Amino acid sequence: MRRFEAIQKIMETVTDEIVVCNLGHPSRELFVIKDRQKNFYMLGSMGLASSIGLGLAMSVEKRVIVIEGDGSVLMNLGTLTTIRANQPKNFILIIVDNEAYGSTGFQITFTSKGINLDKISKACNIHKTILITKEAGIKDVMEKILKSNDGPYCVVIKTEKGLPDNIPIIPYDSITIKDRFMRSI
Amino acid sequence: MTPSEKLYAKLKEQRLNFFVSVPCQLLKELINLLENDSEVIYTPVTREEEGIGILAGAFLAGKRPAIVMQNSGIGNCINAICSLLNYYRIPIVFIISYRGTKGEAIDAQKPMGNATKPLLQDANVKFYEISALEELDLIDKGISEDYAQDKSVAFLFPFSFWK
Repeated sequence: MRRFEAIQKIMETVTDEIVVCNLGHPSRELFVIKDRQKNFYMLGSMGLASSIGLGLAMSVEKRVIVIEGDGSVLMNLGTLTTIRANQPKNFILIIVDNEAYGSTGFQITFTSKGINLDKISKACNIHKTILITKEAGIKDVMEKILKSNDGPYCVVIKTEKGLPDNIPIIPYDSITIKDRFMRSI
Repeated sequence: MTPSEKLYAKLKEQRLNFFVSVPCQLLKELINLLENDSEVIYTPVTREEEGIGILAGAFLAGKRPAIVMQNSGIGNCINAICSLLNYYRIPIVFIISYRGTKGEAIDAQKPMGNATKPLLQDANVKFYEISALEELDLIDKGISEDYAQDKSVAFLFPFSFWK
């Protein structure tokens, strides 16, 4: 399973939830898999997808799913402490961990050197931290989470490296992404 | 009323309702007021750029957000200002204690004191320096002229304001 397949499985379970997605290839893959108005594609500001999602979750009742990467969470590790301190029940952080900076040529991240983001999350007392290592596990976990409202959740999905070919650039400009997102929520 | 209480009253009058903070000695009283205000959403954050991310999410959800921080933190959030706030035209209000300026006792504050206005200017954030209580109405001006057009706006409060 690559990140692409992981996002596919996640999106099979998503209905009307808000989705905030990390920059670079993850957003482009999400766009191809399931473009929707309730997707916020964060195209700059690496590291802040989880923070944007947290601000949303603290402001609305609806469930907020954030699709993050290992490199970007490592850039903003403090986010796990802020999530825990505020404990929004409707917040679901998904870290797709391919142990690399995938959008820039697969340079390694420290999750390839024995650093476990799920353990860091648990150490931050995010009790609902779930580690998934097999593609088949994603659907069950997501369906269970989306039936409940007892977050915050942190789901770490370990994947292989690699990108599908011919993933287009998102054709919308930033203002279009914002406007249609704000209208939809 | 103390300067902090007057500033707080102005922020409430402007219907700002979602706050994050990174502390400063000068902001102690204001942060305490926000912490105890059940009408607003408030959280401390670990770093200014994280705060900007959270406020961007709050704005997308229809809130009127502001960050309370020290000017040294501008150095921690330039990319978030440019690639998130400006790029998506997501406005937030910056309430900034202006250290490293006249009255500063700590030498290490001076480099960022000198860099603050050039950095805000380069990041295309309009700023107003509020040196005395009588100038607090500049907040109304900044919010009606800049924030209302989806542009972030910064207010700098030097030592003279807090006396």
